[in-house]
Amino acid sequence: MKRLIHLHVNGESREVAVSPDQLLVDVLRDDLALTGTKKGCGTGDCGACTVLLGGRPVPSCLVLAVDVSGQDVLTIEGLATNGVLHPLQQAFIDHWAIQCGFCTPGMILSAVALLGRNPCPSEEEVRQAIAGNLCRCTGYAQIVEAIMCVANAPCAAPRD
Amino acid sequence: MEHQHIGTRNPRVDALDKVTGRAIYAADLNQPGMLHGSILRSTRPHARIRHIETSRARSLPGVKAVVTGMDAPDVRYTMHYIFDQRLLARNKVRYIGEPVAAVAAVDPAVAEEALELIEVDYEDLPAVFDPLEAMKPDAPVIHEDLARYPAKFAAVKYGNVCSYTQIHRGDVEEGLRRADLVVENTFTTARIHQAYIEPHACLANVDSSGRVTVWTTSQAPFKARNAVCQTLQLPMSKVRVIATEVGGGFGGKESLLDGIAALLSLHAGRPVKMVLSRWEEFVAGRPRQPTRITLRTGAKKDGTLTAVKAQYVYDSGAYADQSPGTTAYGATFAKGPYRVDNVHVDAYCVYTNNVISGACRGYGGPPQCWATESQMDIIADELGMDPFELRLINGVNEGDQLTTGQVCRNVSMKATLRAAAERAGWQEKRKANAPYRGIGLACHERGFGLFSSGVVIKLNEDGTYSLLSGAVEIGTGAKTVLSQIAAEELGVGVESISVIMADTDATPYDYGSVASRTTYTSGNAIRLAAADVRRQLFELAAGKLEVGPAELELRAGVVSVRLAPEQSVPVAALAGEAIRRWGGPIIGRGSYLAEGTPLEPGTVSGYPMGPFPGLVYNTQVAEVEVDPATGQVRVLKLYCAQDVGKAINQAGVEGQVYGGLAQGLGFAVMENLISQDGRVVNPTFLDYKIPTAVDVPQAEMILVEVPDDKGPYGAKGIGEALVGPTAPAIANAIFHATGARIRDLPITAERVLLALQTKGK
Ligand code: FES
Ligand code: FES
Repeated sequence: MKRLIHLHVNGESREVAVSPDQLLVDVLRDDLALTGTKKGCGTGDCGACTVLLGGRPVPSCLVLAVDVSGQDVLTIEGLATNGVLHPLQQAFIDHWAIQCGFCTPGMILSAVALLGRNPCPSEEEVRQAIAGNLCRCTGYAQIVEAIMCVANAPCAAPRD
Repeated sequence: MEHQHIGTRNPRVDALDKVTGRAIYAADLNQPGMLHGSILRSTRPHARIRHIETSRARSLPGVKAVVTGMDAPDVRYTMHYIFDQRLLARNKVRYIGEPVAAVAAVDPAVAEEALELIEVDYEDLPAVFDPLEAMKPDAPVIHEDLARYPAKFAAVKYGNVCSYTQIHRGDVEEGLRRADLVVENTFTTARIHQAYIEPHACLANVDSSGRVTVWTTSQAPFKARNAVCQTLQLPMSKVRVIATEVGGGFGGKESLLDGIAALLSLHAGRPVKMVLSRWEEFVAGRPRQPTRITLRTGAKKDGTLTAVKAQYVYDSGAYADQSPGTTAYGATFAKGPYRVDNVHVDAYCVYTNNVISGACRGYGGPPQCWATESQMDIIADELGMDPFELRLINGVNEGDQLTTGQVCRNVSMKATLRAAAERAGWQEKRKANAPYRGIGLACHERGFGLFSSGVVIKLNEDGTYSLLSGAVEIGTGAKTVLSQIAAEELGVGVESISVIMADTDATPYDYGSVASRTTYTSGNAIRLAAADVRRQLFELAAGKLEVGPAELELRAGVVSVRLAPEQSVPVAALAGEAIRRWGGPIIGRGSYLAEGTPLEPGTVSGYPMGPFPGLVYNTQVAEVEVDPATGQVRVLKLYCAQDVGKAINQAGVEGQVYGGLAQGLGFAVMENLISQDGRVVNPTFLDYKIPTAVDVPQAEMILVEVPDDKGPYGAKGIGEALVGPTAPAIANAIFHATGARIRDLPITAERVLLALQTKGK
């Protein structure tokens, strides 16, 4: 039996009919055509499907769509505002923090969440924050560089 | 010569789509009326199929097609070496995970449900999982018809050995006799999955005239087309394969699904999408062969190597696929990047009832490097020499030869060795005696640049260009690098080049984005195509400017007289002129196939490869710390001195190096796709761990540029070179730290602990 739920995705209210066992990742990709959210494992182990739920990063392959009714969902498609890239998106471009790009949406969203709760993270904290996002291409060096660069921008004042 | 676009850090041309979620991968595709396909896989490692009952599945509402091996043409095909494989099993299955039947249904859940309704009546056969067991004369025979299978090379095959390659030079026994020291060791490596984050996916559609189009995540769409044509017995004019964005390949993504999806679409008369689950990736992908390499090496007291006698055994799994090649590839480099005149290698590629092995970044090289470079340090230790010195004494120079007789050109072995040792502070750290801390190094030699590539460059009416290349952007940055090369050659900005890639109907043939070849071969093809464009432009402009074509040059969108630059004509004007009055649109064509220096007769038999167009070298250094109580190894730092010939894009090279080191680390200390009685027991990312951001150590790259004489601007192919030396560098560092020698990968804490307990015994 399908049920009508309201999702607040990328600032828009969307109404979708979902069955109780439908996963958020599938609803986003199949019902809302938001295919920027990737599916690499379906078991919560790769992080490619990461979206932000009320600002928190979650693997959308482990979340039932019915459970997020009414909550704010941010996917990669909603990150740029009025055509202006989020600083992290720009930094990923500038630092060649992208290769195949399959991990990129989830990776960027995990970084957005990190900087949301900790604007001046250490490199160690950055690595911890993206440890759930597997990337097979880059070895993470340029990704960490990109995130640190955005993190350091507002942290120019010396920290003790 | 001064370059505008070469050696830069040009941003990736595909970056914007990838950071905004707009890049389209195969699983993102949808079409009206589209069905979802799913595969029923063998649950038996080796069994005869008595009967497959599909009637219940067929009658399930929503099911639009059910196919078995009997619905496909009765052919055995290969994309590589030996014609031993079928699209779907017929009569027999040979590994757990082998495709037995497939279903197309209105949604994935119905397709899954239908699979459960298919009944397969198996008669189990004795199975064999260990290649050494499989080589015994009384082992169960996996391919009864092996002798009759055609092969693409003069394969030597018997029993379960699907390819026996010999490589030979000098007199190995005499070389061993002349040695002051003879060391024999056996080294093993584990089954490694490419673990690209994007699972295989494709969408196939058959139109009403019977033409098949497949959109697929493939590194090699022309090989994929070949596979579809062979398995469905269709001419190439009836099959079009288009590569979508590819979410990582590393050798493992050529064509697993395309033929099955096309067959389903033919039966259902509708588009069919298929997406593999991660479980299917692990149980039925094409991982790197587990290997067992025995080396018997002779050396003089002064360190000079006199002989290498080697036995290579690679586990091919249930079918040959790439394994005859990977086995022979590893064997080719069995002596390592060293001058050794007496070499004999017996290399066995062996069928077992395990998952089919394939190509994984580095082909057969990483296991070879593991063995050779571990052995070098063992010899150094026995001789009381510094491992760096031993390598310096024996390292290959310009003009030396591979065992096959191929002459090594543009050699950078010692350049990388010295650069890595110097940056790492080898001398001091080697002497520093911090307890349980150590430093080790390893060198690597690789071939690159095989097979051919074609390119077409079309001049647009406004003076911009379209570049048609059959290569694929698999993440490496190929699209960016090819744009840079075209921009350089045509004297325009990168933004004036639009690149269309990887469409078998629209772009010229390309072997694929595999084997460290795209920058080299497609790059050279672009240079030829651009020269063809220039020739036509100059011919046309010569008439207008009333000078000879040889006096002209092309720069910044303008053709001008070299010695009188004020006499010029814009390319845009020439483009219009060509279309309206001259000879029609200007189209440049470039085809490239490099050759290596030939093999020496008598050096090889049963050899599936040819000479390599180019050779590339790198050296890695690892610093480690070992916890003697737990056996835990912490890799503190990796250094990599990589020869790239010429970095077309510096940032792209860095990405290749850091990414390669992470994969090398995984191969060294983490990854092992474990199979028990043919069943993969860790088919998830939770249990098959690959390096995360917290696992990778600090890495430092040292760029070495020894140009290749044929490469574009001197560039060499490097993609695969990175993965090999990491593991032996780490093992050698562990030995330096503790005196314990690890011979089996991965280097787990248990193994280190055991080696610590038994060392010196
Ligand atoms: S797809 Fe959700 S974590 Fe991998
Ligand atoms: S860029 Fe390919 S997985 Fe991260």
